[in-house]
Amino acid sequence: MSKSRKRPDGNAKVTGELKYLTDRTFPKMLYAKVLRSAYPHARIRSISTERTKELPGVEAIITHQDVPGVNGFGIITPDQPVFCDDKVRFIGDAIAAVAATSIEVAEEAIKRIDVTYDVLPVLDDPEKSLAEDAPKLREDGNVLYKKNFTKGDVNEGFKRCEAIVEETYHVPRQMHAYMETEGGVVVPEADGGITVYMGTQHGFKDQFQLSRILDLPKESIRIVSSPMGGSFGGKDELNVQPYAALLALKTNKPVKLHQTRAESVISSIKRHPMTITIKTGADKTGNVIAHDVQIVADTGPYATLGPAILDFAVEHSAGPYRFEHVAVNGTSVLTNNAVSGEFRGFGGNQITFALENQMDRLAEQLEQCPTAFRKLNLRGEQDLGPLEQRIVPTTGASDVLKNVEQLKKQIETRKDHPFLRTGVGIAMAMHGGGLGFGRLDGAGGRLSLSDDGKIDVSFGFEEVGQGIVAVIEELTTEALQCDENDITITIGDTNRVPHSGSTTASRGTSMVWHALERMKQEFKEKLCEKAATLTGEPKDELRLGTGGIYKGEVQVLTYRSLRKQLHHDDQVVVETSFDFPTTPDEVDGGHYLYTFAGVLAAVEVDLLTGQVNVTHLHQAISAGEVINELGYKGQIEGGGVMSLGYSIMEDVVMEKGHYTKPNFDTYMLPTISDVPRLTVDAIEKLPDGDGHGPRGVGEIGTVAVAPAITKAIHDALGIWINKIPVDPSIILQAVEKEGGTWWNEFENEQPIASHK
Amino acid sequence: MERIRERATNCKPQMISIILNGKSVSVQANETDRLTDVIRNGEPSLTGTKLSCGIGRCGACSVLVNGELVNSCLVMAYQVEGASVTTIEGVGEGSLDPIQVAFMEEGGFQCGYCTPGMVIAVKALLSENAEPSDEQIVEGLSGNICRCTGYEGIKRAVRAAIKKRNE
Repeated sequence: MSKSRKRPDGNAKVTGELKYLTDRTFPKMLYAKVLRSAYPHARIRSISTERTKELPGVEAIITHQDVPGVNGFGIITPDQPVFCDDKVRFIGDAIAAVAATSIEVAEEAIKRIDVTYDVLPVLDDPEKSLAEDAPKLREDGNVLYKKNFTKGDVNEGFKRCEAIVEETYHVPRQMHAYMETEGGVVVPEADGGITVYMGTQHGFKDQFQLSRILDLPKESIRIVSSPMGGSFGGKDELNVQPYAALLALKTNKPVKLHQTRAESVISSIKRHPMTITIKTGADKTGNVIAHDVQIVADTGPYATLGPAILDFAVEHSAGPYRFEHVAVNGTSVLTNNAVSGEFRGFGGNQITFALENQMDRLAEQLEQCPTAFRKLNLRGEQDLGPLEQRIVPTTGASDVLKNVEQLKKQIETRKDHPFLRTGVGIAMAMHGGGLGFGRLDGAGGRLSLSDDGKIDVSFGFEEVGQGIVAVIEELTTEALQCDENDITITIGDTNRVPHSGSTTASRGTSMVWHALERMKQEFKEKLCEKAATLTGEPKDELRLGTGGIYKGEVQVLTYRSLRKQLHHDDQVVVETSFDFPTTPDEVDGGHYLYTFAGVLAAVEVDLLTGQVNVTHLHQAISAGEVINELGYKGQIEGGGVMSLGYSIMEDVVMEKGHYTKPNFDTYMLPTISDVPRLTVDAIEKLPDGDGHGPRGVGEIGTVAVAPAITKAIHDALGIWINKIPVDPSIILQAVEKEGGTWWNEFENEQPIASHK
Repeated sequence: MERIRERATNCKPQMISIILNGKSVSVQANETDRLTDVIRNGEPSLTGTKLSCGIGRCGACSVLVNGELVNSCLVMAYQVEGASVTTIEGVGEGSLDPIQVAFMEEGGFQCGYCTPGMVIAVKALLSENAEPSDEQIVEGLSGNICRCTGYEGIKRAVRAAIKKRNE
């Protein structure tokens, strides 16, 4: 890694000067609060706002009756009510909202809204939802979506298998826990429209959704959506925008709505919990012959991107391996739990945990080295993708595996300790970028010479913390051979940016590169042409450089004077729009560009407490060229630690549809005390003639961490883990079962014999 | 309960004198205001101090009160009468503090929302102990949650800041 450019947003962030959208205030601004449901599943009998009206300072109270357009949101299907009218289907469902002169008054006001309910049975588990006599969460039943994939005939395949592993895995409901909770301000504008100052991962999508809800033309809705204090997929869907927007239009005053952490926990989307049952079989030499996968996802009551996430999990069921017979059956089930939705990794993390566990268990049964076993089944450079679609050739799979294999050889972990055991595990993952075949996945960008003589580079991407601004700065200065002082970056404002698609699916960096590749030549030529006309120099001898236009090493014109000398109407603008590259094969949702991760985890397991301490987490990433070293490292290290939390700490436990962990005192996130030594190797090489540039790395650092950690626990103790986050009592039980008297031995201060 | 609500909705603001980032100021505070509230919402509204969990578990609202690291969401405004309060805006005024430079150079931030609190916590740590060990760095920052970086960049930044301060 070489490009160690400092981030352009660094100074404002380390000084606290950066105004997040939730930091903004406006004159005459009101404060809003949303009333959420009292029950996870109930029929609403009545809603009375009478007692609220007498409270001084309350300026507006709204319910479902105040939604002029579609009373629903959802990126694909608008099935989540803005305000519930007849039923509530989870504890975060909204019933009413209030705007008042202070937060305190707004809080008091929502307490005075009287809602009566008829409580309905709570479907708090997909199994309950799938029962024949279960109440229906929507007319056509409780299955949101099904996705299958079949290759060959697994039943035939299993007949030829010498070793078969069949297991069921459980992965938790993870919270994004972005440090900045949802919110911001919505300001009514003089023309009857609004400006929405709230974070999202796709400003134009929010504009579209709000237009549908508010019954306002899209052009009347301006979305200002960057910067954000984190998102990780969690702010991709609409959250509180509709409430502040409706209230701002009703009161004709700016309305601030910034959720408290407790409110955020209740209402925000989470990572899908899944139960994954897999039967995998191999012949005696170790070739996996058959792989039969059943996925059941708890998607909560509303769709958001639940179907696409299931598609992704199904697609990645065999990961970077080539198996002869594959059958995958995925079901996304409606429940009265939290709405599950988009979250960094997008279904890949869940399926990879299960798949990699299967690989390790099969290797053990066959008495093969897990790495050698993986190599034997690994995809080659020219192989088809996991849905048998053509993909861009890649050696990523073998590259990352080799990297972690090398490192594993160098690690000596065994140490003689009375109650600590150490172990090392490796795992790997393949991860598709972009939205996939058949999905609207447009991208684009714009270069222009602005009135102040700066080269303005503009994208409809959002800065959530990932560092897209550093990527844009690096790639633009490289493409145009200018420096950072010559450019301005415009993002995160639908009035000022071109359509670039969503800031999701690890597509940002990739699309910025593609857009600049398309625009740079034309933009350079246009500028040189103008400069040639103004200076009389031959156009072909001119080039862009730091500060202006050069002939050879001599600057002939600054960008500023070039702009000044042009007629005001003579704008230099180059725009592009194109689609994220997809496979030529008509395979719904199938990806074309993939990245790879190889992960090595070293752990120390405490036999007295059952606690797992990860001591080293190494990730080898194959995603093409590194554009910004600090951003790249940050994404992989940060993603790694987020998944360390997923592996051993984090679970949004719900009981009967209610959250049991309302804030960070009970939902434990990794702190600096929990993190291991982190190392990252970027494998930048791509096959010759690749032509697709750098891939995004927003997600890949999260995908294969959990199975590496659980394999390391296996290495330490000889026990397999089927459920994350790892429950210390499982470890204690295993220790008890194995040693029986080890605790007594320890009390007698005698050394314990090695368990391995 | 009703009385508490009455107070919440009808409370009278009072003036509180504090030394905010070295300057004596009088700030208006409601009885129910936390220190975070007056810093962020008062005049001048210093929004560098963030509020994230609101219960003292994440450290995003970290400030120094009389040089001591506190979660400003757990301190009521009236409790700081006469005290010296340092927020992120009071760190490295005029030029960047070496800690801030190190955070920029080493990738000690991503979304930046925890960064002000984190910088304040490092400031408190280094003012107590100019050369903390790795264990002491971890101890000193264990009350500040960062969801983006994985902390490795923050550790690098603190080590670099220590070096810079010694140069």
